[in-house]
Amino acid sequence: MSRITVWVVLKWVVALTIALIAIFPIWWTINVVFALPGEPVSLNPRLWPTSLSAGLQKIHMIFTETEYLRAYGISIAYALLTIIGVLLIGSLAAFEFSLFEFPGRRILFGIVMLALMVPTAVTIIPTYLLTSRLGWLNTMQGLVVPGLASAFALFMLVQFMRAIPKDMIEAARLDGAGHFQIYWHVALPLCRNALVTLAILTFIQTWGNYMWPLIVASRPEMYTVGQVVGLFNSPLSHHTVDTVMTANLLAAIPPLIFFLIFQRQIVEGVAMSGTKG
Amino acid sequence: MSFRRYLPHYLMIAPFMILFAAFFLYPILSGFYYSFHDWNGVQTPEYIGLGNYEKVLGSRDFSRAMTNLLWYIALTVPLGILAALGLALLVDSFTGRWANFFRNAFFLPVVLPAFLAATIWRWIYAPNFGLLNVVLGWLGMPSVNFLNDTGTMLYALIAVDIWVSAGFNMVIILAGLKNIPSELYEAARLDGANKWQQIVHITLPMLGPVLFFVFTYGLISAMQVFDKPWLLTGSSFASYGGRRNALLFPVMDMMGRAFGGVKFGEAAAYGFLLTVAIVAVTAVMFGLRTWRERR
Repeated sequence: MSRITVWVVLKWVVALTIALIAIFPIWWTINVVFALPGEPVSLNPRLWPTSLSAGLQKIHMIFTETEYLRAYGISIAYALLTIIGVLLIGSLAAFEFSLFEFPGRRILFGIVMLALMVPTAVTIIPTYLLTSRLGWLNTMQGLVVPGLASAFALFMLVQFMRAIPKDMIEAARLDGAGHFQIYWHVALPLCRNALVTLAILTFIQTWGNYMWPLIVASRPEMYTVGQVVGLFNSPLSHHTVDTVMTANLLAAIPPLIFFLIFQRQIVEGVAMSGTKG
Repeated sequence: MSFRRYLPHYLMIAPFMILFAAFFLYPILSGFYYSFHDWNGVQTPEYIGLGNYEKVLGSRDFSRAMTNLLWYIALTVPLGILAALGLALLVDSFTGRWANFFRNAFFLPVVLPAFLAATIWRWIYAPNFGLLNVVLGWLGMPSVNFLNDTGTMLYALIAVDIWVSAGFNMVIILAGLKNIPSELYEAARLDGANKWQQIVHITLPMLGPVLFFVFTYGLISAMQVFDKPWLLTGSSFASYGGRRNALLFPVMDMMGRAFGGVKFGEAAAYGFLLTVAIVAVTAVMFGLRTWRERR
């Protein structure tokens, strides 16, 4: 223990302070929700939760007396359908692009990879106009379908499927498996880790998507959590601070739960997308 | 005959390619078409040549948004990377459980939706009773209206930005740190190099490619900043950009023209101008890298 120097102490102080800054806003939100209503926030930057029942009551209230529950349902459906679609469509294409030769393979893959460099800014308005012309504004398919052909998902899955030994594919074929069966029973199980990581990243991204729902789901019946949270927090909102903070906390809970369960996959997924890109 | 042989392959990529063509390629082409037309979304588009581009480039909002963007990028990208690098080195200096704890704590803001980060920070910045002003009050300082004072708005945005993105970049840099062979550090120690010298002469050069990625990616996403300033300023399509447009950014301006002013042609032209800028910046970055590698 002779190594405890000023530097080591300083290091811990800095690390703990930054951890506090990173965690504090969400911790503070929890404390405002789980406290008896009526206490002004100003006098008390609350440092710990004080009343579990008051918090649960506020959550119950917000689900029964406001439109929050419907928005929650819509956001969950939006995220789940997007995950299923992105994974299925992306893995079907990745299977072909990574393991087989066919005319046009290179050029098609090249075009999709170029898409990774095109900013959302240039596509969002024409995509909105197309969605509108299809009559898909304020519908679930309008939210989900335009985002399904994800170039990032294809890129990531191709990286993984390239590692599958061609012998395994051949062996399955000799056993009499059809093309789709090889995909379903051989390729998919082998890249389960990549699929899980991609599903989690897609969830976090879709749950946090603000811009697309803002323009496509502009009717209150189709509001996602992001828009409802915006309404609660708007200067014109007539809700109390307690209610607003409950709305904020509920929006944070699904990604936080995902993070607690899948922290390793999330962190590795982000690290991989950076170092392989 | 050969087409039949390849048919299964085409069938498997068909769902992806059809959706990609419909919701990516087609929108780009149609956006290009609209950018030369005056169109409010209802009547027949009317061809006006480069009119939209001239209107966008000549508008006061455009130059305001670009000025804001330049200041924003000049500060947020380098500061964000410095913060991320610092965090990564800090986490890397711990081992085992504590390294994990700090990494996860620093990463937490990344998993929160950006709309929520902006919303919660609005409460922290609130005048008088907001958390930050309460702390300033304790220190005997006057209350600041962070999100409505043109002198502080940009910095308030940058703080939120770094709070959100530092953890993301940290994780990428950490992965880069893990790839540096430990023999290099041992050799340096034998040569009598201290911690600081090791960082300057081994860590930073070895992190080159990773830092390049983080920098380029950070630059490209900063150029498209939208949710955070939009929500921090409580914007809507009727009114956006905050007090005296101090937090007006190009994508906000573009979205406002489309959905506030129903000028879809102008917005499409705006999108292309932005894309050209982004592609140019990316090309310059990669050009610089090749040039450095050649030397």
